[in-house]
Amino acid sequence: MNAPFFKFGLFGDNVSLIMAFLIGIGFGFFLERAGFGSARKLTAQFYLTDLSVFKVMFSAIVTAMVGLFYLSWIGFVDLSLVYATPTFIVPQVIGGLLLGFGFVIGGYCPGTSAVAAATGRIDGMVYLAGIIAGLVAFGEAFPMVKDFYYATPMGQVTLPELLHLPYGLVVFLVVLMAIGGFAGATWVEKSMAVKKGTLRA
Amino acid sequence: MKSFLTNLTLNKKLGLLLFVLGFFALFAGSPYKGSGVTLDAKELAAIVQTETDHVSAEELAGWIIGGKSDYRLVDLRSEVEFAQYHIPGAENIQITSLPDYGLLRNEKIVLYSEGGIHSAQAWFLLKAKDFKGVYMLRGGLEDWKDLILFPRLPANASPDQRAAFEKTKEVSKFFGGTPQSGLSDEAPSVALAMPKLETPAPAAASAGAPVKKKKEGC
Amino acid sequence: MQATTESLTADRVGALDKPAAVRVPQPYWNPYLAGFGLGLVLLAAFVIMGRGLGASGAFTSLVAAGANAVSPEHAKANEFYAEYLGDGTKSPLMDWLVFEVLGVFTGGFISGVLAGRVKQTVEKGPRVSVGTRLAFAFVGGGLMGIGAKLARGCTSGQGLTGGSLLNVGSWAAMMAIFGGAYALAYFVRRQWQ
Repeated sequence: MNAPFFKFGLFGDNVSLIMAFLIGIGFGFFLERAGFGSARKLTAQFYLTDLSVFKVMFSAIVTAMVGLFYLSWIGFVDLSLVYATPTFIVPQVIGGLLLGFGFVIGGYCPGTSAVAAATGRIDGMVYLAGIIAGLVAFGEAFPMVKDFYYATPMGQVTLPELLHLPYGLVVFLVVLMAIGGFAGATWVEKSMAVKKGTLRA
Repeated sequence: MKSFLTNLTLNKKLGLLLFVLGFFALFAGSPYKGSGVTLDAKELAAIVQTETDHVSAEELAGWIIGGKSDYRLVDLRSEVEFAQYHIPGAENIQITSLPDYGLLRNEKIVLYSEGGIHSAQAWFLLKAKDFKGVYMLRGGLEDWKDLILFPRLPANASPDQRAAFEKTKEVSKFFGGTPQSGLSDEAPSVALAMPKLETPAPAAASAGAPVKKKKEGC
Repeated sequence: MQATTESLTADRVGALDKPAAVRVPQPYWNPYLAGFGLGLVLLAAFVIMGRGLGASGAFTSLVAAGANAVSPEHAKANEFYAEYLGDGTKSPLMDWLVFEVLGVFTGGFISGVLAGRVKQTVEKGPRVSVGTRLAFAFVGGGLMGIGAKLARGCTSGQGLTGGSLLNVGSWAAMMAIFGGAYALAYFVRRQWQ
């Protein structure tokens, strides 16, 4: 067992920053490949005309999930050393709602806004400025929201742990859900296109 | 069957592959390794032989006086013993909590116990869990007391030994110990008082060193 | 629009020998392939670093560094900034996420250049003005900033990373993101359609 490499001391903090940069390049590259530098393509998800956001996100999730599962299973990766954020269920759900509002109003999320700004979108750059402003507001208001921020902690808990199901079973269920979702997404897109007259039934 | 597979579009092929992988996950068992470990007996035996993983009491004293902070000092004794006295800068970790405590594999970790047996056993546990920089304090707290806190100069010492003892006295005083000189070879009948716990002048690593910066969130 | 994604791959290969200035914007990749590639990057992050991708944390580091530059006492006194400033031995900008986000800018740019998609534009629907769009972008960003802190991440950190780790809070946040966006979509449809 020798992965995650960084946690087994294979390289130090400085090299890890180089790794961060390279990994980020991969991240930004594929986001742009998918067309996520465009706010219109991103928000089309929420008008059901182009469900790429769902397709890309969930293909990425199941790829990494299945990959990590099997790499841990063969003993290459020590899954307990991979960091997962602790759960604070209520603030995270409220935060998620705000993220959703920000997504459909602003047209981006932080990662995609970086890609948009990098490919010349002025609205992406303005969005980034907005993020900064929001963070400053949050930081200044932090003493007041602190109690809410730390409310309802559940510790670091995974779905298998919460549901008392074997990890592999949850992996399978998520895979089924994703495949079902992809099939459903294709159907929804076709139906919307027929409705709009861009595709003859 | 073959024509079925070749007639699938790319997307459907990917979907089928995904389904197969997901399906096998059902039977694969837990991805968490639990507490089992694999040991390379030869490699560990070689390390034990060469004693490369020892740190002497004098070395450790030098590190503390010099303000070195690139290591973590772990005291494996009970909480009561730790509260009575511990080497400055040490953290108290019970051996049962050691593997899960949150020590990083690329940190330098120096273990000590009363005599050295527990620190040697803890050394093995951590090495088995692939920790790279694990060291033991040679002689444990007993040697620390004998060499650092209460160093003794025998009555029939040579001039060279007396000169060297001056430095040892300085070190001992730094840690609040009581150097003794001119004694016969018999052990002292009076139990010497352990120094009171004060952090030495260089600022020791603050308690809860890991809680420095939010390192891994998003 | 979606029906002929596979047949468009042939067009991409021929267009690469045109000079960048006249390169026609290429069609986007098959979303499943792009997602697969993204998943491999995420998996690489897990294997190499033992952590996943993220974005909002980098901007928080930037804000904390800025706050520190403007007024160090205030920054250190504020628990939120202090967490990102650490013990003062290292600049908050020497942070993994900061470098990762710099990579995101770079990777996005590279992909854009290769595909002929780098152009100064404002993405918007036909029924709003540029000014309105930019105002909305700013407000949306602000909401995102606040939401990302409460949710402990954004769609990359909580959605992609936490999702693939089957983290409970992440799945809850992800569902809330989609829920919130769908809920509000009707009211801002003018901006996009």
